[in-house]
Amino acid sequence: METILLLAHTETDGSLAQSAREALHVAATLHKSVAVSQLVVGLIGENVQSAADAIAACPATKYFGVIGKDFSQSRYATDTAAAEAICRTSGATVVVAPATSRWNRVLAGVAQRLGGHVDTHINGVSANDGKIAVNRWYYRQRMEAVLNRKQRPWFMLIDPGSQPACQSRSGTASIKNVVVELSDACKRTTVIGVREPAADAQTIRPDAQLLFVTGAGWTKKQADGQPHVPEAEKLIRGFLQLSRASLGSSKSLVDQSGEGQAILSFLSHLNQIGQTGATPRHPKGLSTCCHGEEPHTVGWRFVAERRAINLDPNCGWARGKADVLYVADAFKVMTKVNELLAAKT
Amino acid sequence: MDDGVQTQIERQRMDADIVCVGFGPATAGFLATLSKQLVNADGTPAIESAVMPGLPPQVLCYERSDDIGFGVSGVVTKARALRATFPDLDQAQIPMATPVGEEKVLYLLDPHGASRRSAALRLADAFIRAFQWMLPFEQHGLKLPWTPPFLHKHGGMVLSLGQFMQWAGAQVQATGTVQIWPGTPVAKILIEDANPNMAQASSPASSAGVSPGVSIGSGALPQPAAGTDCATLTSRSKVVGVRLLDQGVDKKGNPLEGFTPGMDIRAALTVVGDGPIGPIGQQLEAHFDMPHDHHKRDWAVGMKFVVDLPENTALKPGTVLHTFGYPEPEIFGFLYVHPERVASLGIFVPSWFDSPVRTAYRYLQHWMLHPYLWRYLQGGKLRSWGAKTLGESGRRGEPHLVGDGYARIGEGSGSTNVLTGSGVDEAWATGTQLAEAVLELLKVKKSFTKENLEATYVKRRRASWVEREARVAEKSRDGFQQGVVRGLMGMALAGLTKGKLTLGGEPVQPWKRIPSPEEYYRGKIPVAEIQKLRKECTIKGVSLHGVLMDRLGWPAIPFDGQLLVSHQDALLMGGKVQAPPGYADHVVFLYPELCQKCGTKICIEACSGQAIAPGENGVPNFDREKCVHCGACLWNCSQPLPYDSERGNIAFRAGTGGLHSAEN
Amino acid sequence: MNTVYQIVVCAGIVPDPLQTLEPVASPSGPALKNEMMLPAVLDPWASHSLYEAANLAKHLPGSKVWLVSLGPKAKLQQVMMTVAQKVPFELVALDGPGGGFTEAAEVAAMLAEAIQAIPGLDKSKLLVFGGWESASRGAGATMQMVGERLGIMDQFQGVDELKIAADGSLEILERIEGGKHQISKCAGLPALLGWATGNLPEPKNNPQIGMVNMRTVMPALQKAKPVKFAGDGLSFVNVALPKQLRETRIVKDKSPDDVAKEIIEWIKK
Repeated sequence: METILLLAHTETDGSLAQSAREALHVAATLHKSVAVSQLVVGLIGENVQSAADAIAACPATKYFGVIGKDFSQSRYATDTAAAEAICRTSGATVVVAPATSRWNRVLAGVAQRLGGHVDTHINGVSANDGKIAVNRWYYRQRMEAVLNRKQRPWFMLIDPGSQPACQSRSGTASIKNVVVELSDACKRTTVIGVREPAADAQTIRPDAQLLFVTGAGWTKKQADGQPHVPEAEKLIRGFLQLSRASLGSSKSLVDQSGEGQAILSFLSHLNQIGQTGATPRHPKGLSTCCHGEEPHTVGWRFVAERRAINLDPNCGWARGKADVLYVADAFKVMTKVNELLAAKT
Repeated sequence: MDDGVQTQIERQRMDADIVCVGFGPATAGFLATLSKQLVNADGTPAIESAVMPGLPPQVLCYERSDDIGFGVSGVVTKARALRATFPDLDQAQIPMATPVGEEKVLYLLDPHGASRRSAALRLADAFIRAFQWMLPFEQHGLKLPWTPPFLHKHGGMVLSLGQFMQWAGAQVQATGTVQIWPGTPVAKILIEDANPNMAQASSPASSAGVSPGVSIGSGALPQPAAGTDCATLTSRSKVVGVRLLDQGVDKKGNPLEGFTPGMDIRAALTVVGDGPIGPIGQQLEAHFDMPHDHHKRDWAVGMKFVVDLPENTALKPGTVLHTFGYPEPEIFGFLYVHPERVASLGIFVPSWFDSPVRTAYRYLQHWMLHPYLWRYLQGGKLRSWGAKTLGESGRRGEPHLVGDGYARIGEGSGSTNVLTGSGVDEAWATGTQLAEAVLELLKVKKSFTKENLEATYVKRRRASWVEREARVAEKSRDGFQQGVVRGLMGMALAGLTKGKLTLGGEPVQPWKRIPSPEEYYRGKIPVAEIQKLRKECTIKGVSLHGVLMDRLGWPAIPFDGQLLVSHQDALLMGGKVQAPPGYADHVVFLYPELCQKCGTKICIEACSGQAIAPGENGVPNFDREKCVHCGACLWNCSQPLPYDSERGNIAFRAGTGGLHSAEN
Repeated sequence: MNTVYQIVVCAGIVPDPLQTLEPVASPSGPALKNEMMLPAVLDPWASHSLYEAANLAKHLPGSKVWLVSLGPKAKLQQVMMTVAQKVPFELVALDGPGGGFTEAAEVAAMLAEAIQAIPGLDKSKLLVFGGWESASRGAGATMQMVGERLGIMDQFQGVDELKIAADGSLEILERIEGGKHQISKCAGLPALLGWATGNLPEPKNNPQIGMVNMRTVMPALQKAKPVKFAGDGLSFVNVALPKQLRETRIVKDKSPDDVAKEIIEWIKK
């Protein structure tokens, strides 16, 4: 029998994140598809009762919790100890978890301790005749594999945003408290804070509805034979402030900082999307002045609706990859877009 | 940054025994031969290093491209020299290698009527079409019923030179006796003057600081002082090594954060194998001049695709097709079939193609779309793309092969056989000849003087098949100076008479041949219209050839995103072109005023990567990120330098980046 | 501070990022088409970790960097000719498959074994570096497993900054959600850091470093231990390029104002 464990950590306020509910959806669906299986939930945090209650109506038969102040921190030693304890206590054969930065840090190590295996960047899980298969990405999202494993436990980290969230109703969950003794060696690391980007810094914001992708064309010479970088900066900043979009950038634009060329001052490698950058998930994406084929366009693989503005009708970001390509001057279009946005606010 | 400033910079110095510039087939032949004999079977040095006593000679090779095997070209070769070095050569070990099978030469007619054909060719075309039923004619292509034996490569190999070079590089480095460093361009040749006042230069210098008494070959072309006899003054100049490219600089070479001055690598022998457009070869020619009556005036740019052929392809591995006649009569084409449904195919656009809009990329697409070829290519997919200059002057372009402290090998040394269209085998052979000479000198502890190198390397080269065949070929292509038909006849005549009879005269510098678009299209496109189109293109920052070709009736390219892709997508999908940050522009417009008065701007039209575009005040812009280092701009420039009619206004210097495909 | 660090960097090789990749079936499972023909580079994120390691060692006299790398020997040799000019290191080479479809746990076992075999390794001085993900398997799992095998309880992933305080404690910035960084303080060694990009530029080529490195690189390659992976229990049902071709509506003749209006409507929808 498969024991499917949804393993989640609580947020600082004790709640469950959307990504945890998405992983729960995967776990619950898997449980439904595998005839001889049980679904259990494991939660880690300073206090997990409210999180467990929030999903109490899900088909889980048991709830396990590792609680305490030591487990409020996102820290390898304590998180591995807690996850290991829940996995052992629950007898989990399949462990489904959201691919948060916290779980990404630890679950491969837990799998190692338990003699198990781990798959990450999973964007789909299915079961046919009791045989479980996962879809995951290889080579930086450039190819997708479907694979299955005989060994257990099998850890599955589900990419946030790739699955619908479980809409289980709340109730009262009965939690079995799993006690974890921590040695001093587990507490050599202390989380001392979180550094947030400056309020006006533009980074990839996962919660944004729109990903605005800037390409190297913004800094190139324009129709009048001159580059207009300050104007480009103003337009892009203006749009981001008005639209609250997330800012992504092609590699070539980020790289120009090393060339002594005029660049967009607010861009850093944190903005880079594509083969050597991020592959964020957003409902909509607008690419401007971008050029390039694979692997550059990998950056907006997980953007649902895509539009592009480019003077080149053969733009590789657009043809076959976007829903709409506007063959137009992005400077002119974005000037008007900002005007219209400003008028509406 | 000018050299005056450069010489003030404190530079580190490293000493080696032999330093090589460029890792192409010639240097590979050199290192493959040399590396086998530096160490005894028991691991002890067979020859002792002068700079690291007790160790075998320290042999370093610096290659400008980002990996070995990038930026070279697919090839069909008789492989005589390669097999001499590797007698047990197993082709199966080299990806994409296969024996030559069927060879065909095709004359392609123009299905669109857009090409520019002479009256003689038009007559020939009409004859062929009229009697096509009795000729080996299909799909607008005529298979020549007979081709002269000197064109045949039977018994040879079809290779991806990129893959071959990677294989050869691995063999050489596995010996552990030589080091090949890619991504490390050599910027300058270090030349020491024999002036006694500078004698301290020959004494060991400290590990840091400017080497005293050393003059530096300039990336820009120096103007000799009026009235001096360059050859006499410099006859005892000695090459003492090389200077690597500065890192951490802006486009103009000015230091940025992280500035790292290029190191001086001093060596008793500098082996220059940096190809037909290599900056070190250029600097040597500027410093030592060319031998009397020798010059480099014949060139071509070769542009190619590597293609996954459709699954049902009828082309067999080893098939070799050569074409002429289309898309313009002056443009030659090739298609070589590798194993596993892969083909290398492309065109050569020669310097004597007098069009001022000699754009290889668009012509390559029209060539692929020719019905004779498209039936094989339709449904294929682009794997790789690239372009390269070919030095077509052959033996006439041979520079001084040796001097004190240096020797030249490979294509830049004039080894390419322009009659048989063979260069790799010859280049490799010159490398092995030099290696044998170097070993001979090292074993008897003789220094690398001009005389000693002449008595060993040059002597071997002169006595070899490379020289013998180069003499036959020397004037075989002169007829092309007066047209394609005459050129083809001249080649046949020279080939069949072993070079005794040739057609045509001395080639002229390319710039003398280049008309303005207004002249070239006289009677076809009104001058006012050309000027209007030029203005529009300049504002858009694009070259002129596209609109002119459209205007002349060339059909639009039906892009399919697979094989027929935009030029920029070819750079990305095929060439994977990249330029690491922190290096100066390697294409420099020396005298802006010459560009401003230039009417043709052929550098923009001919640029293989669209890296040169219209710029401010009539001076073109150069975009390093798009440059494939083909070097076509160097010899296409229509503006000669005021003090040197053999050179144009574009300096093509050492630079990194470019193609990142190893399949070319 | 007079601490001497032993910094072991785990870095594999991956196809040069701009290459066209296509999966094919091979007798040993999925592989890349023309895998041995594709130009290779040191894994980008692991490269950052190597630069960080070298920078750290440079500022802590007596410290040393080892580069543990697993890949086909011929490819490793090729990649080393680019990497070896960048920073000083001693290579520990493992000759085996370097593709992304190998199992992280098996790779980790080999890497850990190679690290443990480094002569004179002292865990109290040990920092293990690597990339937080590779550009091949892209799992972000191998380093944690290496750390577990080495008994390292202080591990960090997505690291962008490491500062070492006078008391030898480490302050580490890790990437977390929302473009933020978590700041952690670790009392001391050993520790394992999976790096994101860090903050250092790619070092310039230095021929002298290249010369020195080659004295150990070639011997290391010559004695590279051959490794094979069984991939037991793992089976690939399918590996494919994503089918992502979209019908692109090309809008050519609208004025910038009209395009702007259409974009606004779409954004607000």
